Amino acid sequence: METALAPVPEAMPKPIRKVLVANRGEIAVRVIRTCREMGLPAVAIYSDADRGALHVRQADEAVHVGPAPARDSYLSIDRVLDAAKKTGADAIHPGYGFLSEKAEFARAVERAGITFIGPRPESMEAMGVKTTARANMAAAGVPTVPGSPAPIAAEAEARAFAARLGWPVMIKAAAGGGGKGMKRCDRAEDFSALWQSARREAGGAFGDDRLYLEKFLERPRHVEIQVFCDEQGNAIHLGERECSVQRRQQKVIEESPSCILDEDLRRAMGEVAVKAARAVGYRGAGTVELLVDAGRRFYFLEMNTRLQVEHPVTEMLTGLDLVRMQLEVARGEPILRQEEVQRRGHAIEARVYAEDPARGFMPSPGKITYLRVPGGPGVRDDSGVYTGWTVPSFYDPMISKLVAWAPTRPQAIARLLRALGEYTVHGITTNVPFLAAALDHPAFRSGDYDTGFCAAYAKELVRPPDPRYEQVALIAAAISAFKKDHDEAEAYAARAGMAAAARSAWARLGRARALRGGGR
Amino acid sequence: MSTYVALLDGGAREQAIQVTRQGPGIYEVRIGDQVHLVDAFQHDYGTLSLIVDTQSTTAMLDQRGARVHVRVRGSVFPVEILDERRLRMRRAATRFTVRGKQTVTSPMPGRVAKVLVRLGDQVKEGQGLVVVEAMKMENEMRSPRDGKVVELHVQEGQAVEGNAKLCAIE
Repeated sequence: METALAPVPEAMPKPIRKVLVANRGEIAVRVIRTCREMGLPAVAIYSDADRGALHVRQADEAVHVGPAPARDSYLSIDRVLDAAKKTGADAIHPGYGFLSEKAEFARAVERAGITFIGPRPESMEAMGVKTTARANMAAAGVPTVPGSPAPIAAEAEARAFAARLGWPVMIKAAAGGGGKGMKRCDRAEDFSALWQSARREAGGAFGDDRLYLEKFLERPRHVEIQVFCDEQGNAIHLGERECSVQRRQQKVIEESPSCILDEDLRRAMGEVAVKAARAVGYRGAGTVELLVDAGRRFYFLEMNTRLQVEHPVTEMLTGLDLVRMQLEVARGEPILRQEEVQRRGHAIEARVYAEDPARGFMPSPGKITYLRVPGGPGVRDDSGVYTGWTVPSFYDPMISKLVAWAPTRPQAIARLLRALGEYTVHGITTNVPFLAAALDHPAFRSGDYDTGFCAAYAKELVRPPDPRYEQVALIAAAISAFKKDHDEAEAYAARAGMAAAARSAWARLGRARALRGGGR
Repeated sequence: MSTYVALLDGGAREQAIQVTRQGPGIYEVRIGDQVHLVDAFQHDYGTLSLIVDTQSTTAMLDQRGARVHVRVRGSVFPVEILDERRLRMRRAATRFTVRGKQTVTSPMPGRVAKVLVRLGDQVKEGQGLVVVEAMKMENEMRSPRDGKVVELHVQEGQAVEGNAKLCAIE
């Protein structure tokens, strides 16, 4: 408080008057909500597939940026910048995915005299190529997972390196993130197919198909630390998020606190995360991802130089609004002090995907014919969809994030299960029953789970329906069919009656004309 | 009174249900050897509130083509409901179905990332045939049976619609 008015070097106040959100779906809606609370007009961008999207409706202004494929719209730096210039937006929030971790974009934004709500391009570059990031971290004294020091071009060379590292290995995209272009390989025989598949996925998702290898740790847990830095050189952490429930290398359920962290480990990991952020001159919100092995040793995995999908977990736990903090840092304001951060209770997030867990998590795009979302105490639904919206097949299949907060972990699990029970999506298949089965699983309840959770219990997580409810379900279906048949019969009778009346009216008219004479 | 037959587990099981209307929203339902008095109240789209004897239950009905997905307390029952006439037609139709060629289709719009087989290849059940990329993820379409690739409709890089034929196995 006493230093609030003291002049600080290089902290220039940069007023923000209008924010363009260079994203779509739930995260665009999320950012627009905070803009509204702060009294800032928000500009949405949209592709041909997204004219009807929720974020377009919620924004104050909206600009069309191109056809449905992301590379021609949401990934087009020129078009996004044109939209900002056209609407006079003086700041751009990139959300996550798309252009959020492209240093080239951040640079272009600042060159145009617009504030980029995110880190400096140099920090993004230092962390963006995963192999460079690993080298930087090792130099800063942060422990890293054993692996190839640089991307490997030739498959044969990669296979030989993998054999030296020892199976299983992780094949990863150097430009990676979000599980795209990431494959676990258990044996030499599978290496070729997985390597090529990872290469194609990486090329498609990031426009950069360079791959590298890391040793796969035994029973690893994926724990990440939320960090925040300001222009004044302050750096804090907001504690961890445990993200070990993953399918296809993508997170499904995240929680905080993590069951394997105690105060000492939390402090140690927090300090390492802050050190990692400082090492690259970080600014704004970032996440340092770490792997914790069975012996509770932890290793730097990567730093995500953006807001994470699962940031609401930290928001529920700390009571802070991370998007507001990002905007404040972008305006040149200082962040709160480490000792001001208070974590209370337990928060769990479940990602609702348009996908079918019974068919290998196959995406299930299509029209949402009906949507009803949960409410009640301690529940937050960050959604990007509505009844009548068609989930396009061009983008990520996540439609919402459901978060529950409660004083204790068992209560938070019970609350999230209760809320998932209220979540109703018709027309498309979602993973809601899968999420409930995962939360309800003894291994999750006990807190003793790792990144192999979904694969290890795959069969138990796609549960058959409970036979106790079969009879009442059939009664409902039969009564519904009965109602429909009878309503249709009544409607038909009503139409038939009207037709008869219409016929007699024409007959009456004909007779009247005949009586007048000369009628045609 | 109307009699319906519910097909469960993709038609593997059947259950007859008789519904008789007793008054506005009140039905007598005979299912198996049990008779229930059911008070049914239709809420918004697809939501049916049932009081069966005294048990209060919400059923969410999601119409998916010929089937309806009935969700009760987190359990989803995919059911097909047929009246007597439709059941007779169905039984007549199944006599003419033949076993044989299985066509593999794309479950959603996307792009063919990789074709793993050639026309005439012998394949095993579960073997990968075509990799379709959609929503930025690769999805491997696998063979539904042992057999030979007798049709191949796509090539790598090609865009495909949902339900587009990819190949056929015989």
